[in-house]
Amino acid sequence: MPMVLDRRSVLWGGLSVLSLAAFNTPALAQAARLRMIWWGSQERADRTNKAIAAFKGVKPDITIAGEFAGWSDYWPRLATQVAGRNAPDVIQMDYRYIFEYARRGALAPLDDYIGKALKIDDFGKANVDSGRVDGKLFGVNLGVNSSVVIYDKAAWEKTGAKAPSMGQTWEEFAENAIAFGKKKPKPGYFATADASGLEPSFENYLRQNKKALFAADGQLGYEPADVAAWFKMWQDMRKGGGCVPADVQALDQLNIESNALTTGKAATAFAHSNQFVGYQALNKAKLALTAYPKVSASSPSGHYLKPSMLMSVSATSQNVPNAVDFINFLVANPAGVDLLGVERGVPASTAMRDQLTTKLDEVSKAMVEYIAAITPAVDPLPINPPQGAGELAFVLTRVSQEVAFGRITPEEGGERMVSEATRTLSRK
Amino acid sequence: MALHSEILSKESRPAALRSRGAFGGVLERNAAGYVFLLPWLLGFFGLTLGPALASLYLSFTNYDLLQSPDWVGAANYVRILTDDPKFSAAMQVTFTYVILSVPLKLAFALAVAMAFNRGIKGLTLYRAIFYLPSLLGSSVAIAVLWRQLFASDGLINMALWQLFGFEGPSWISNPDYALYTLVMLSIWQFGSPMIIFLAGLRQIPTDMYEAAQMDGAGKARQFFKITLPLLTPVIFFNGVIQTIEAFKAFTPAFIISEGTGGPINSTLFYTLYLYQEAFGFFRMGYASALAWILVIIISLFTAFSFLGARYWVHYDD
Repeated sequence: MPMVLDRRSVLWGGLSVLSLAAFNTPALAQAARLRMIWWGSQERADRTNKAIAAFKGVKPDITIAGEFAGWSDYWPRLATQVAGRNAPDVIQMDYRYIFEYARRGALAPLDDYIGKALKIDDFGKANVDSGRVDGKLFGVNLGVNSSVVIYDKAAWEKTGAKAPSMGQTWEEFAENAIAFGKKKPKPGYFATADASGLEPSFENYLRQNKKALFAADGQLGYEPADVAAWFKMWQDMRKGGGCVPADVQALDQLNIESNALTTGKAATAFAHSNQFVGYQALNKAKLALTAYPKVSASSPSGHYLKPSMLMSVSATSQNVPNAVDFINFLVANPAGVDLLGVERGVPASTAMRDQLTTKLDEVSKAMVEYIAAITPAVDPLPINPPQGAGELAFVLTRVSQEVAFGRITPEEGGERMVSEATRTLSRK
Repeated sequence: MALHSEILSKESRPAALRSRGAFGGVLERNAAGYVFLLPWLLGFFGLTLGPALASLYLSFTNYDLLQSPDWVGAANYVRILTDDPKFSAAMQVTFTYVILSVPLKLAFALAVAMAFNRGIKGLTLYRAIFYLPSLLGSSVAIAVLWRQLFASDGLINMALWQLFGFEGPSWISNPDYALYTLVMLSIWQFGSPMIIFLAGLRQIPTDMYEAAQMDGAGKARQFFKITLPLLTPVIFFNGVIQTIEAFKAFTPAFIISEGTGGPINSTLFYTLYLYQEAFGFFRMGYASALAWILVIIISLFTAFSFLGARYWVHYDD
């Protein structure tokens, strides 16, 4: 018998040592350890990691472990971590997704910190409110941006075609793209990427037509004819040799790295203004940027200023005050703001923007000037997207591919987009 | 050490054993075995059975990952089977993939195994080399490599251009071809069925071939009358395993379409659709129901394979 007892005591002893080790570590640790997650390119990762290191200088007892992913991997990863009660403390949020997360109780409200640890008073009401969901602050604006046309000016000029410019109409843009195609410098190179499946581009076009992605009642804000006209315009460019063919566009994974401009297939990309920094970092050619073409000279610009991204804190974080300190460092402390630069958009804080602009390089300055140039003609933020809206971007891409590959006509594409979008939104 | 001495000590104290109940005795005798099994048992209950049962429960709820689930009855199953065009698209893609990739892969594996079975020099080396793609199998790196090979300016198109002056399309991003590049990736990973075929071929007695040769049977006839019939148990085994694997394929499609199943759902594998619903669109309850339907499909497929096997599989007894 003593042998049996021996074994048991060894087992239990072992187990209790294990459990001691497991439960005591957090209590023994002195410094706060935070995790942060974001999406973006290597350029953004480098800047963010520098900011994290600099924060260590300000608050030596807070350690921040960063992780990042590409846009399309980011959301599944975040959803899994949140569901597994393992959410990072500091979460980079998108204007579209913040509603999904905040309304499901996954984010911590930050209203109590405003004016204290979170000095965002000089953001202006619109920029603070862009982080509010149903009246409460769940995200801090990390930078202001808008849609943008990014192009390789020299490539356009070489063909003699007129490059995109402020105030150009879509009709002129398409004509120029086709002219570019006729004199293109090398086979397999086109004037522009195909933006027909990009939701932000489609939204811009809708707003120029005084429509919107979503109406006030949460229903669709457009009709089949609107989508059909959009698809038709791109089809004409595609058939005229102005924009990349369907199978080249299908390689685009909605990031800077795989865009036709970066992969050397096209001279023009439709993107977000803050991405200009990332695009220039990956492209040898000198890039320029301008506003979207318009449906007519007198139409609205379609642009609006939106938070390029927001910083949120997980509702389950044990370190909300520390997380807020770090966010404040990124948006209201010159040391942090300068490291992030304008790669995430133009800082919302007037004071930060003013002190930063003087230190910027040429690329970043061009981006800030672009935002200043379009600001007089921007319209307000669109209404909050309804539940299920996130899926519609994928639907648009797929239907646009069906049109581009010649499976259906633009008119059929319009019908299909509206019927599938309506179905998706009605799903509970 | 404690365990070891306990086992040894057992022999020396049969009286203690007898004094316990029969059940206690069995437990006592097998305790060491169960302790050694513990890692596997923990894995099975904690990582396989537990989550599987949880997903069965979740499949009857509207779980969205972030909020606690509400019971919705069979609504998810009803929707999948009656009102989900993406489900039909995913089924079509998956069945096409299974029906094409499994027979082709087996045929290829058998052909390579037959070549090896002729007793070439350095067989072990060749076997290892040909097995290599299967080791890299479902890895992300291979899928990325495949993406590079079959892109518009990838290696395949460069070769086509140099050799035939043919300007190939972008295979992986064209809905007409994308799935077939994935089928080819699967065939290329023929290693494990090949090894099993090779072992099966070794089992066939050589005197049978000698006898057939004396009776004047040619190579082709020997293959169809001796090799194939005697190999049917191995073919059956490989077929079932590879079919299940093919139904579960995920990584290549995920990497090649960057998780979208595109272009135009042409690579929307069932597992990829399931993943999108669960983690892309916050519909974990619905995705759980999709997972259970896949379990039923694979079970049915396997059951029918076994039922059909008696008509064509010859066991040597």
